[in-house]
Amino acid sequence: MNLYAAIFYLLAVILLVSTTVAITRRDAIHAVVYLMISFIATGLIFYLLGAPFLALLEILIYAGAIMVLFLFIVMMLRLTPSRRTGRDALSQWAPAAVLGGLSLILAAVIISADPATGPALKTLTAGPRELAQFLFQKYWFPVEIASFLLLIALVGALFLGRQEKKEPKTPRPEGL
Amino acid sequence: MIVPFSHVLFLALVLFLLGAVCAVARRNLVMILIGVEIMLNAAGLVFVGASLHWEHLEGQAFVIFILTLAAAEVAVGLALIISSHRRTGSVNADRYNLLKG
Amino acid sequence: MKAYLLFTLVLPFLGSLTLALAGRHLPRRGVEVLACSTILLSCLAALLALISAGPNPQTVILLPWISTEGFSAPMSVLYDPLAGIMALMVTFVSALIHLYSVSFMRDDDGYVRYFCYLNLFVFSMLVVTLADNLLFLYLGWEGVGFCSYALIGFWYSDEVRAAAGRKAFILTRIGDVAFGIAIALFFALYRDLSLAVLNQKAPGLDPSLATALGLLLLWAAVGKSAQLPLAVWLPDAMAGPTPVSALIHAATMVTAGVYLLMRFFPVISLSPAALSAVAVVGAVSSLFAACAALAQRDIKRVLAYSTISQVSYMFMGVGAGDVGGSMFHLLSHAFFKALLFLAAGCIIQSLHEEHDIFRMGGLRRSLPGVFLLFLAGALSLAAIPPFGGFFSKDRILLAVFNQAGGGYQLLGVLGEVTAFLTALYTFRVFFLVFGDRPASGTVGSSALPEAGLRPLPKFMVGILWPLAFLSLAAGALNLPGLFSGGEWLDRALAGMPGGAPPSNSSPGVEATVMAVSGFLSVAGAVWAYFLYRRRPLPEAVTPLRQRMKDLLSSAFYLDQGYQKAIVTPYRAVSRFLWLKVDEGAVDTGIDRAGKWFPFVSLGLQQWATGRLSTYLKMVFLGFTALLGAIVLGWHPW
Repeated sequence: MNLYAAIFYLLAVILLVSTTVAITRRDAIHAVVYLMISFIATGLIFYLLGAPFLALLEILIYAGAIMVLFLFIVMMLRLTPSRRTGRDALSQWAPAAVLGGLSLILAAVIISADPATGPALKTLTAGPRELAQFLFQKYWFPVEIASFLLLIALVGALFLGRQEKKEPKTPRPEGL
Repeated sequence: MIVPFSHVLFLALVLFLLGAVCAVARRNLVMILIGVEIMLNAAGLVFVGASLHWEHLEGQAFVIFILTLAAAEVAVGLALIISSHRRTGSVNADRYNLLKG
Repeated sequence: MKAYLLFTLVLPFLGSLTLALAGRHLPRRGVEVLACSTILLSCLAALLALISAGPNPQTVILLPWISTEGFSAPMSVLYDPLAGIMALMVTFVSALIHLYSVSFMRDDDGYVRYFCYLNLFVFSMLVVTLADNLLFLYLGWEGVGFCSYALIGFWYSDEVRAAAGRKAFILTRIGDVAFGIAIALFFALYRDLSLAVLNQKAPGLDPSLATALGLLLLWAAVGKSAQLPLAVWLPDAMAGPTPVSALIHAATMVTAGVYLLMRFFPVISLSPAALSAVAVVGAVSSLFAACAALAQRDIKRVLAYSTISQVSYMFMGVGAGDVGGSMFHLLSHAFFKALLFLAAGCIIQSLHEEHDIFRMGGLRRSLPGVFLLFLAGALSLAAIPPFGGFFSKDRILLAVFNQAGGGYQLLGVLGEVTAFLTALYTFRVFFLVFGDRPASGTVGSSALPEAGLRPLPKFMVGILWPLAFLSLAAGALNLPGLFSGGEWLDRALAGMPGGAPPSNSSPGVEATVMAVSGFLSVAGAVWAYFLYRRRPLPEAVTPLRQRMKDLLSSAFYLDQGYQKAIVTPYRAVSRFLWLKVDEGAVDTGIDRAGKWFPFVSLGLQQWATGRLSTYLKMVFLGFTALLGAIVLGWHPW
């Protein structure tokens, strides 16, 4: 076990623990904060796996923008932590846990059955220059589409978030 | 040498399932959306690992797209949550059952 | 010739068709004229056909009916003296009865239906009489059965009468099954359904097959002619109008059975076993019916049992190999029985639908014409010499006694006993109906005052005189050589199989038999006179006497026996199948299967909760299932 592997496992543990804690919080704000930790850990893993630019993007966009957006909304809606009674906690989590466990086993079987995943990953890095050249040479069209998608999302969010005009409660009679 | 690719896959798998469980088991709409984000994140992890494994850059390019997509989707999703909160005053998924057959 | 035959057959059918389609639009007189004239013209055509035909049988094809590759069933006619005489009798008696019906049904509103069915019946009977092709014959056979059903149940709104019609149809149908099997057997043997051809090829038939065919034909005849064991429908069939009883159940349909045996005589005569079976059926039925007739109270039921008994004589004749003798008795029976029925119809109508003979009496003075007519018929039925019935019945008894074998002698003795009983019950009715009654004392038998009688149309009574003459003089048709008579019938039928059997009897035997039967008939009549004319009826009835009466009047409980043994279990099974199987299992099963769908649907409805969490769970479940499929190898790559 070399240094990189140790770092990887450490980051993996942090990632999993923080995610697990995040999804079991009653308060949405707590969940978001723990998730930020999780995303930072993910970003670091990206760096380890030879994608420094993506690591940056992950932290900037995911942890920085998306999670902050979540926070905005939670605070705007004044969502209070739900009072979860012990009785329906089991009925809520049980089916998900069962299915999750089952999927875990099945997918683990699938992954371990593939011999190509055996050898260790190499320590290569793709710098931003290489990534940018690659992206804009080969996949410039999807980039344009992605930006268009962002535009659509913007318009959609604007439309959905607009304030509805309030109707007068009593219909005013004509001529008065 | 870092770790075998299967370890990365396992990690991403567990992360994905955590996100799935969160999306399925929580009633709060915001938490469901968070579950979706976790799942997208796990998918991105797989792509980066695969990119390194096969030594192709397509994986990393695709992660950029996933990021873009996640941002757009969160924006629209949260706008929807706001809109429905304005209508019904609740973000409990169980409240929205007008489609009950 | 073909023209005469066509007219004979087609005219009644056209009459029936016209009445069925347009009868409602014609005036009443028009309907009656149409119905009667078709039969009269048909009778004329039959007469002309008989005159112009020679003694040899001839086959005439009237219409190609069914004609395919390898099989054809044309509407063909086998015309020989037997068929010719029978056709003439059928049309003549039918014509008289049509005319009588015009008066009899003068108050009934269903006259269109009545005459339509009556015409159709005559057509069907003529088909039976004349047909050569067996399918054509079967058509007529079924046709008479149907018309009989329709006419017995003519007043169908009365449940009892409708049930009587059904009973007749079902019982004759039981016989028809055997006929169908026989036709199929003939076809299997010879691939030809022509009667002429079959009779020609008959001598080459295997004896056991001949016996089988003979027994099948016998069963068919038993059904149609109401012999034992299928005799129970005829007494109930008296629920129909009296002219119908006269035509169908005296002169024509019930004789169709024995006529069938006569037509198939070349086949049946090959099997002594079949012939003896025919004779035994005849003898036993004859005695059975005569006993039953002794205890009946309804005048029409007496005549019905009498018909069974007399038709049995015809069976005995065929069984003894004497087709000519049977035909002789058939003709004379047609005349006197039709006369008796029609006279009974007059009596019933004049007494306001009274059927019970113990409530009649003293009609000699009130209805003198009917009195004489009935007397003529009674003399002939009771076989009082020298009237018609005597010669024909005696001829049959002679033929039976002449047959070799001790069994036949016993049958002959039974026949003589029956002759005695016949005279007894005939004159019982006669004296009870027409004789003077003791004015007082006897319960339930007061003669009706003359003012209470319903006046009868003169025409209705007048039409019966020709029949009276014929029934008294019928003996002249075939006076035996002993009286140096003409033996016309024998000579006419000489060319037919079994037409005139060689008389291997000495004149001495002949005279003895004649004397014995004549004596028995007269004795029966005289005893009836003493029983019913002179002595007042006994008031007290001992239990033994009552049991005897019940036994006889219910015809040895045969009908009740059938009801208990066959009809009631059948009804029970039918009820079970209806309630438990059809409604219970099939209907309910389909209902439940139908209800299963909403049940399943309601179950599935639980899924559509409308809640996001449920749907997310389902998506996750699908995902897990997909993983499972991949693990198991069910993936497309």
